[in-house]
This record gives sequence, C-alpha cells and structure tokens, in this order.
Amino acid sequence: MIGAQELYETKLGPLPTLTGKPTHYCAGCEHGTLTRLIASALEDLGARERTVLVSSVGCSVLAHEYLNVDAVQAPHGRAPAVMAGIKRVRPDLLVFSIQGDGDAASIGLLELLYAANRGEPITIFLVNNAIYGMTGGQMAPTTPEGMVTTTTPFGRDLHQTGPPLDASKLVASLEGPAYVKRVFLPVTPTPSPEFFNARGALEGARAVRHAFEVQQKGGFAFVEFVSTCSVNWKLSVLESKRYAAKVLAPLFPAGLYRDRFGVEAR
Amino acid sequence: MPESLVVGLPKSRVVVDAERCKGCDLCVVVCPQRNLHLSERFNRMGYHPVEFRYHGGRGDCTACGLCYWVCPDFAITEVSRLRP
Amino acid sequence: MNADRDFLKGNEALAYGALRTGLNAYYGYPITPSSEIPETLAAEFGRGTYPEFRAFVQAASELEAINMTIGTAATGAKAMTATSGPGFSLKQEGISYAAAMELPLLIVDVNRSGPGLGNLGPEQSDYFQATKGGGHGGYRNIVLAPDSVPEMALFPSLGFELAFRYRMPVILLADAFLGQLKEDLTFPEVPAREFDTSWAVTGARGDHRHVLSSLHLELPDQSRHVEHLRSKYEEIVGAEQRSEEIATADAEVVIVAYGICARLARAAVRSLRDRSVRVGLLRPITLAPFPQDRLNALIDGGVRNLLVVELNSGQMVEDVRLVAEGRARVESLERVGGLLPSSGEVEAAAEDLTSSGDLRSALEAMVQ
Ligand SMILES: Cc1ncc(C[n+]2csc(CCOP(=O)(O)OP(=O)(O)O)c2C)c(N)n1
Ligand code: SF4
Ligand code: SF4
Ligand code: SF4
Ligand SMILES: [Mg+2]
Repeated sequence: MIGAQELYETKLGPLPTLTGKPTHYCAGCEHGTLTRLIASALEDLGARERTVLVSSVGCSVLAHEYLNVDAVQAPHGRAPAVMAGIKRVRPDLLVFSIQGDGDAASIGLLELLYAANRGEPITIFLVNNAIYGMTGGQMAPTTPEGMVTTTTPFGRDLHQTGPPLDASKLVASLEGPAYVKRVFLPVTPTPSPEFFNARGALEGARAVRHAFEVQQKGGFAFVEFVSTCSVNWKLSVLESKRYAAKVLAPLFPAGLYRDRFGVEAR
Repeated sequence: MPESLVVGLPKSRVVVDAERCKGCDLCVVVCPQRNLHLSERFNRMGYHPVEFRYHGGRGDCTACGLCYWVCPDFAITEVSRLRP
Repeated sequence: MNADRDFLKGNEALAYGALRTGLNAYYGYPITPSSEIPETLAAEFGRGTYPEFRAFVQAASELEAINMTIGTAATGAKAMTATSGPGFSLKQEGISYAAAMELPLLIVDVNRSGPGLGNLGPEQSDYFQATKGGGHGGYRNIVLAPDSVPEMALFPSLGFELAFRYRMPVILLADAFLGQLKEDLTFPEVPAREFDTSWAVTGARGDHRHVLSSLHLELPDQSRHVEHLRSKYEEIVGAEQRSEEIATADAEVVIVAYGICARLARAAVRSLRDRSVRVGLLRPITLAPFPQDRLNALIDGGVRNLLVVELNSGQMVEDVRLVAEGRARVESLERVGGLLPSSGEVEAAAEDLTSSGDLRSALEAMVQ
C-alpha cells in the first residue's frame, strides 16, 4: 500500500542545519526568521561542516543553540575581531556572525569598521531592531527619534543623543567591503489590512546566500536586516510590523550599497 | 502510479508542528489563500497554534512556501506537493 | 634571523622565541616598551621565513587584538598578543572570556610604570592584574616571569606548552627593563609539539560539533563550570610551581624577587656571600602559581627573614606574607615610577635583616 507520504514531494522541509531546539525568541521575532534563512543557505552551499558561527551578545547570544554548526561565543561587540582571528588562520572555513544593532553599531563599532576596512573575508548579519532587545528595551544607536525606550522614557531626543546611526552606510563608506546590503526583513503591510507580504524573507534568503558567496570569493560581506522587537516596542506582533514599515523603512532604506563581485547580477 | 489513487487528494500539504508554534500570526497574514488560521486550543507553551486547511478562505494551498519562510519558529516544518 | 646564537633585546628575543615555537598568529596594538615585539614579527612575517607564521595584524586597539587572538586560539592554532600596562587593562575583558572558554593563548605584558599613562620606566605593578585574574569573574591563569633575554626567548615555548596542556591563557610578565635589555643568547632547540586540539572549532563532523561559549544560563551549570576552572587551577598549583634558588641552603635571610629585581638580588647575594653573610635568593619563575611550596620549605627549614624586592608599592609581598603566615619576618624593598634600587641597596636591606644587621641597628639605636 502506498502511504500518503510517498504521494507527496517535499518542496521545503526540515533542515539538518537546525538543531531543532525550540528558540527563546519572542513570537514573531526576525531573529528566528533569519536563523532559518541562514540554515537554508548553508545547506544550499553544502557548507555545514566547514562553517563557524560567531555568536554575539544580544538576543542572538544563543544562536549556536539553534544552528547546528561549530560556534564561538564572542564578547559583546567583538564578533568581527574573533571572526578575523579565525579566518586569518583558517581561510578554508566559512565564518559568520549574527549581531544586534547595539552589539555591532555601538560597543562593537570599532571592531565592525576595522574588519570591514581590512576587507576581512567574513560575513556579518546585523539584526537592526532599533533597540536593545535582550537587556529589556534600552535605547540603541539605531533608535528612531521620539521612540520611547526604557532609557528614553520621553522619547529619543536627538539634541541629546545625536541622530540614529546608519550602520550600512558607515560600512559602505569604506573601501574594504565587497558586499553591503540592507534588507527590510519583517512581513510588510499591504493595502489590504489583513494581508502582509513576505518579500522581506525571500529577499533576505537571497541576501544571506549572496553574503556567503562573497566570503567564498574572498570578500567582506555585510547584510543589515531591518527588524522588529514587538516585546520591547510594546506593540503586538502585527503592529510592530506596521511600525517598522512606517518608521524604520524610510529611516533605514533597503538597498544594495556595494556588490563588488556582482553576485546580485547573476 | 495509477491516476485513480490520487483523485481527491489535496494537491499540496503544509505540516505544522503545533508544539513549536508561538501563534505569532505571521504565516496567517502572508498566506495568499488563507489556508492557515490560529486554532482555539492551546499548545503546551500556552499559545494558540496555527492549523492548516487545504481549502483556504481564498482558494487552495499552492505550496508557495511563504508561510515556511516567514515562520520564526520553524513550526511550518514541511511544504509538499502531490507528485504529478 | 636563523642563527642559533645572537645578541638581542629582550623583546626581540621573545618574538624569535615565539616564532621558533611555531607561532601561527600575532595581533597587537603598539605600545612602548613592547613595540619591538610586533616590529620584529612584522619583519619576519614579511620575509616569510617562518612558514607556520600565518597571520600578523596591527589591530585597531588592544580590544580588537585580544579578540583576534581569541579567534585564532579557538581554531587550536598558536596565537599571541603583546602589550604594556594600559593595553593590558584593555585586554582583560578578552582574557576573562578566554579563561572561561578555556582557550590556550599567550599574552605578553612588558610592564611599564603606572597607574594611568605613568611613564616608560620598568615596574612590576601589573602583578596583581596578571596573577589574580585581572578581568571580571573568578578565574586564574598561569603567569611566567622571565629574568633574562635568554628566558624571554625560551618562555613563549613554555607558555604555549602550559597553555595547551591546561587550556588556559598564559601571561608572560616582563618589564620595560627586560624588554629593552640586550644580552647574548643561544636559542634552544624547541621540539615541535603536537597538542590536543580536539575541542577546537574546525567545522562540525557529522553530529559532532564544537561550541566554545562562556555562557551557562542555568545556575548550577555556571557553578559547575567555575568549579571546574578552580580545580584545574588547583591541579596547576600542585604541578607547575617553578622557581630558582641561589644559596638558600644555609641562608639566614632569603630575598624573594622576580624579573629585573631578581637580577639585582643575585648580584647582592653574590657580594654578601663574598663577605660570608648568609643571604639567599628565591626567584619565582611562575608568579601564578606562586612557588609557595619552596617558600614553605625554606621557612620550615628555619628561614626567619624574608626580603621582598619588587617594583611596585607592595604586591607580591602579599603573597609572600600569605605563605609565611607570621612564621617569618617579611620586609620589603620597593621602588616605583620606573626607578630601580641599586644592588647595593638590595644588599644593605638584606644585611639589615641578618642577625649581625640586627645587632648593628641595636647598637646604632643605643648610640643615638
Ligand atoms: C561589555 C558589556 N556591556 C554590556 C552588556 C549588556 N548587554 C547585553 S546585550 C546588550 C545590547 C543588546 O542589544 P543589541 O545588540 O541591539 O541586540 P538585540 O538583543 O537587540 O538583538 C547589552 C547592552 C554586556 N553583556 N557586556
Ligand atoms: S526581545 Fe525583541 S529582539 Fe529579542 S527575541 Fe524578543 S522580540 Fe526578538
Ligand atoms: S504554502 Fe503558501 S498557500 Fe500554502 S499555506 Fe503556506 S502560504 Fe498558504
Ligand atoms: S508563523 Fe510560525 S509561529 Fe507564527 S503562527 Fe505561523 S506557524 Fe505559528
Ligand atoms: Mg537590537
């Protein structure tokens, strides 16, 4: 007898590059979405056994619990330096980090910019949720003007804090990087209130893949994922997606800032 | 495979691991055919998990995979299509 | 440089010693008086004389440098970074993480005068920071203290050996004087050593993967981890205390000094012995673990007077007192600010602690 199973052809299925552990991420968080995009790209590239993840400090601190690859857990902000140290002696490995906006654009800005400027062949995924997620919602370098956070209880005042920092533009201002891209990752509202489009995830999947390919060609690759943090923004999941589309998308416009090897053209 | 065997079977399937689902609604709002909805029951984590219906509010599941890609919890474990 | 004999500065000798032991990577940020280390390594990296030396980067800061060192160490390769006081402070964050993740790496501190910017003169004032787990959280690491240019050349090999054997950061604590001092040396044959690196990140193999993390969210897990680090250090205390002794067998007074101070003390002991004054020297080679067993043995053997000579305002003397536990008089001769005592001053201070010295001061007191 033929079981129903055999009648169907799996188009998308479980990924061995995921450990299968339930994540600690809040419902609807792009940290989770990105995790699957990365697992999927590593499988497409057949790279699981030559990959090293450098997890950062932030909500991605436990990324190695979910991604079934070798991993080093870096001090807050220092992932790019740790990656460079790995890659310099083991150029055969595929090395990448998942970092928050606080991790990469505040405490670790020096490590990010210097690794970028030297064009270290590494891949950095930045989850920009405009807030310090893990520590309970303090202001991040990327927090938009007026946003209420626990350390800007009356809204972010640019006279005091300076304007939000644009990590992709900073990285792209350097000669070193080979690939710089910003993707709007959350589901996006459509004119019909009950429908959102999933273009961000699909676009993200391609960007992740490209960022690994660029590293394999010897280049520094950086992808910023504009994301949400519904819990610390104190919005429902879908409201947070609407807020991101309205406020973060114009502040951090999606786009390709550098593609030295033309990976997007193919 | 004899044609008759597949008659009446849904053309595509989406497998949801209800125990992983955090009921975030993302798959629900991106599904073009409205094949997914949050159930009334609770899973062990205390969320209303998503359920799949082949015949959705706007049509049948096309195995487009959008739900799979947006799900942050890998709770959409499989999207498959009936073999031709 | 390939000849086995040479006449080099301490810093240069250290660089060559590291290269000869198969150094794979160096990361550092320049700071006097340690800069000859990266300068020497940069030249050799450019020449490509040492094929195993695969990475040299002048980092943007000591923070970047220590974290690059961590990255290389995580792959099981031999990584080193060198600095001096202010940079040593910056490296402490990384050293704490490396200790927690049990990474073998070598950190060189060519101690200058401090606190703050201080000056470029020699001091031993980073003793606490080096020996007491200078970063956050509770950990200890091995600290080696060379006292000559030949030892500057030899200790990278010893350092890596211990670092890999115990999977921990090893600190090589030198000072501005040793770094700049030029001496003759013969490079020893360093046997190529294979270390166990089965823990290193090299890519997962099937179901087996390597995860190096200092995060243990479950409280009992963290407690177990710290307990593991502690028992590892206890094993080191039992097995790795190293020291050198000169004329301690019948000594009435034992000078305890390391690094440059040990050199001054050695000269003082020689001169005192010429006059039949029974003074000896205990030179800690491992500052951590502190050579407490030898010091204990000396006290048990009847030594009642100890003179600690160090270039700080009293750091190692605390460890000496801890071992002595009131069983011996512990005096100290300290200099700071980059100043050194003369060997004559060391001699006089040691002689003061002998019975004849005691007698003389008693007489002087009566005369006054
Ligand atoms: C040296 C140091 N300073 C501060 C912290 C506390 N801390 C942990 S994560 C974090 C910020 C996290 O925000 P972000 O990088 O944006 O990541 P997210 O959680 O938002 O993804 C801070 C301040 C730390 N762990 N180490
Ligand atoms: S705190 Fe924010 S960033 Fe962190 S998992 Fe929750 S939603 Fe995501
Ligand atoms: S595969 Fe596409 S059509 Fe089917 S349930 Fe998922 S989103 Fe809807
Ligand atoms: S996207 Fe995933 S977690 Fe969210 S409701 Fe759908 S199945 Fe559940
Ligand atoms: Mg953040």
